Amino acid sequence: MTVLRSLDRFLVRIETAFLVVFLSVMILLAFLQVMLRNVLGIGFLWADPLVRHLVIWVGFFGAAVATHEERHISIDALTRFFRPRWKALAHIGTSLFAVVVCSHLAHASYVFLLDEKSLGSDFMLNVPTWVALIVIPAGYVLIAFHFLVKLIEHLLFVVGKQESASR
Amino acid sequence: MNTVVVGLLLALLALLGAPLFAIIGAIAMLSFAAEGIESSAVIVELYRIGSNPTLVAIPLFTFAGYVLAESKTPQRLVNLARAFFGSFTGGLAVVALATCALFTAFTGASGVTIVALGGLLLPILLKEQYPEKFSLGLITTSGSLGLLFPPSLPLILYSVTSKLSIDQLFAAGFIPGLFLVVILSAYGIRQGKKAHVPKTPFAWTNVRNSVKAAAWEIPLPFIVIGGIYSGTFTATEAAAVTAFYVLIVEVFIYKDLNLFRDIPRVMRESMMLVGAILMIIGTAMGLTNYLVDNEVPMKLFELTKQFITSPIMFLIVLNLFLIIVGMMMDIFSAIIVVVPLIMPIALAYGVHPIHLGIIFLTNLEIGYLTPPVGLNLFISSIRFQKPVFSIVRAVLPYIGILLIALIIITYVPALSLWLVEALGVK
Repeated sequence: MTVLRSLDRFLVRIETAFLVVFLSVMILLAFLQVMLRNVLGIGFLWADPLVRHLVIWVGFFGAAVATHEERHISIDALTRFFRPRWKALAHIGTSLFAVVVCSHLAHASYVFLLDEKSLGSDFMLNVPTWVALIVIPAGYVLIAFHFLVKLIEHLLFVVGKQESASR
Repeated sequence: MNTVVVGLLLALLALLGAPLFAIIGAIAMLSFAAEGIESSAVIVELYRIGSNPTLVAIPLFTFAGYVLAESKTPQRLVNLARAFFGSFTGGLAVVALATCALFTAFTGASGVTIVALGGLLLPILLKEQYPEKFSLGLITTSGSLGLLFPPSLPLILYSVTSKLSIDQLFAAGFIPGLFLVVILSAYGIRQGKKAHVPKTPFAWTNVRNSVKAAAWEIPLPFIVIGGIYSGTFTATEAAAVTAFYVLIVEVFIYKDLNLFRDIPRVMRESMMLVGAILMIIGTAMGLTNYLVDNEVPMKLFELTKQFITSPIMFLIVLNLFLIIVGMMMDIFSAIIVVVPLIMPIALAYGVHPIHLGIIFLTNLEIGYLTPPVGLNLFISSIRFQKPVFSIVRAVLPYIGILLIALIIITYVPALSLWLVEALGVK
């Protein structure tokens, strides 16, 4: 479990680093593009598609971190009033469900990526579109992994091997 | 039979707090599987919506909003508004409403307003002898006021899911948004008079100092609102300028935030919200496309046509339905899931799609205040350490006022559509 948990934290740190770098590039590039267009009347053809794809990258890394921090949008009106043990049981069910769904979504996006690869289109300059799409299956795998760690933590809590699982 | 069991199971999981994107994703994939369609069809829709140009505005504005919330902008904004409006009876209530509305437009009604501004305003209101119940209700209500003003996140999301022009929606929200602020201000002034709150004298030095202090932030609404309404910027360009400008001003001019110590943290915080929203958009678009392809909205329309015969009746039912939606769902999921289903029906009844958007958002704004899931109730309860029940009691008069405003916004389409036509926004 310690190994899993440190891997979990390590991944979150990597995801945060990616997120910060990509968002910074997005902010600078989007601003530069507006200035070039409105002041000089020019712009880079590759910048707009790049910024649009960065949204997906930043979004998936944000979603992965949000999984770790339990920030996904959900209905918590009911579980708010649960006792810790019941809360943990509910978490086990919902985390298991999320792991299953995210694995399927990862598979579906991998199929989509292969389809795009066979089409062979480019999204900017000479970079093929499928390269920009790697983040979708990878993101779902990361999200599934974070949910899996949550699942194990809550399981350990229920069997009494750990003090508290939920913040 | 099987469908019923699966449906009940998913509903149970949703109620137990499963992430909504997983619930929606499961429904989408199961629906596609039942039709024998490859499940990658869900991802096709995710990619299509994900590379929508308007979507770029979401991370940029969200980041800018979080930077403003984390810096000392709330303090400067409150000082500025107090210097101008603080001197007449009930003025402080107006200060709270105006600053919160402006702030919510930038932070996207994600609860940041109550945390950042409410914590500043509540002690001031109490010190100036406004009743506690009134003040708690005021702050809780203000937490989502302003989501009709550009560049609010719900407006952008509505544009993305409905494929309507974001610039038109930004123009449409302005007058109804202002109307809500004015009507609540009138109530605030009346209550202030009733409570005999003391007046603070007006002083030019306060005005001068607060304007000087906020000199770099005052241009912001003008860049966004002026830029978009005049047609200088598109919404996405305004987002790019805002994000960059806010970053420079707060980090290098005010030095409220450190580029290396604070900004990565703020980026992480804000992108968690963006990620959570993207996940829901991604899976919900696949599902709604499936439903639209199977003509589910039209079937619903055929069904409702028998009972709902006039547009007026439709609007009444729509309002009731949306209030229930607002009670059950958060605003982001509600927009993404419900808009594509409702819009074809509304069009069939002759409701203008832009007007529908404003009705939709006003309804959901009220949803922030209604139990059991009204987000503002819980944020206020945590922030001010009051039981949820007493917050609910405090917001009741405000819900009443907002309902009256909702009726007016719903039945007077000109409130929403006039500015769009007057400005000739495309």
